[in-house]
Amino acid sequence: MSNYWPWWAGAIGLALATINYTLTTGRSLGVSSAWDRVLHWRAERRRERLDAQFIDERALANALAAATAEQFGTRPAAPTPDAAPGDAQAHGQNGGPTAGESAPVPTLRPAPLVTQAALLLSIFLGGWVAAVTAGRFELRFDMGDGFRELVTDNPAVMIGVLFVGGVLVGFGTRLAGGCSSGHGLSGCGRLRPVSILATAVFFGAAVLMSFLLWKVI
Amino acid sequence: MHTRGAVLVANIIAGLALGYTVANIGFGDYAELNRMFTFQDLRMLLAFAGAVVIIVVVFALVGVRRIPGRIHAGVIPGAVLFGTGWAISGGCPAIPITQVASGYLPALVTIAGIITGIRLCGWANARYFHLDRGSCGL
Repeated sequence: MSNYWPWWAGAIGLALATINYTLTTGRSLGVSSAWDRVLHWRAERRRERLDAQFIDERALANALAAATAEQFGTRPAAPTPDAAPGDAQAHGQNGGPTAGESAPVPTLRPAPLVTQAALLLSIFLGGWVAAVTAGRFELRFDMGDGFRELVTDNPAVMIGVLFVGGVLVGFGTRLAGGCSSGHGLSGCGRLRPVSILATAVFFGAAVLMSFLLWKVI
Repeated sequence: MHTRGAVLVANIIAGLALGYTVANIGFGDYAELNRMFTFQDLRMLLAFAGAVVIIVVVFALVGVRRIPGRIHAGVIPGAVLFGTGWAISGGCPAIPITQVASGYLPALVTIAGIITGIRLCGWANARYFHLDRGSCGL
């Protein structure tokens, strides 16, 4: 397996993907959250519609206030673009569970649903291009020699292990609020204590389990 | 730069870059992953740690603002479950996608597991935990 990238190329690649995303969108890259939102697309669509309606209503209220002011020659009470507290609060409510109680930073709305679906599809495409160009693409019904030696060579057991492992990954990442990209790259990159803790714990658990698989089981 | 179209393009670029990089580093290769987690081969570990260092430096230089994040009761148990699942299935939420893209068809089962797990967590949280989740990707 010598045709994988050297460590520094991988580091630059992962860093560029994360930094570019954050600088262009102002958001954090997170794959488990993208999964979560795509899977709950009905609720997400409803929320986006409510959000759009809210913005429309606010625009209407602003227009009415301006018209009234013009009519009576007074100034509108509060210039609305700066109405940050109400704005942040409303987004907090619509945005479901966010961590900002009295956050100093106004909460940015989550990336639109369609962009999160595009993220997952693009990961597939990127992975496919990488596999094909490196000559590694091969349709197969196993998970490779490493899995066969370390975990199981029984196809039925393999299916069970992969499914249970996947459930743990899905459940765990959502419970912890992030995965290796959200907590590991974006969160640790921002030196968020919660992300550093989560990364240390999930890495520690993976090390423990991997040693068990390698040495014991 | 935060319009819908710009965010869409940024997500497509990030997805392509992430999928391409993750696959070329070898995160989809179960043997490589086990060698990383058992410290037999530090290459992938250094790739990940190196990326974090670069991100920390660039974010500090550019002045990317911090997002508040609370350490709630779900963080540690969730991370334990995730780490264990990653070690046995070889998949974090992005990796099985690249595994399928590389031809490892059983990774579809991992994806099915992840989907089940996410739905299970949503259900369990609404019914039992009542935690503030959400931090990743906001």
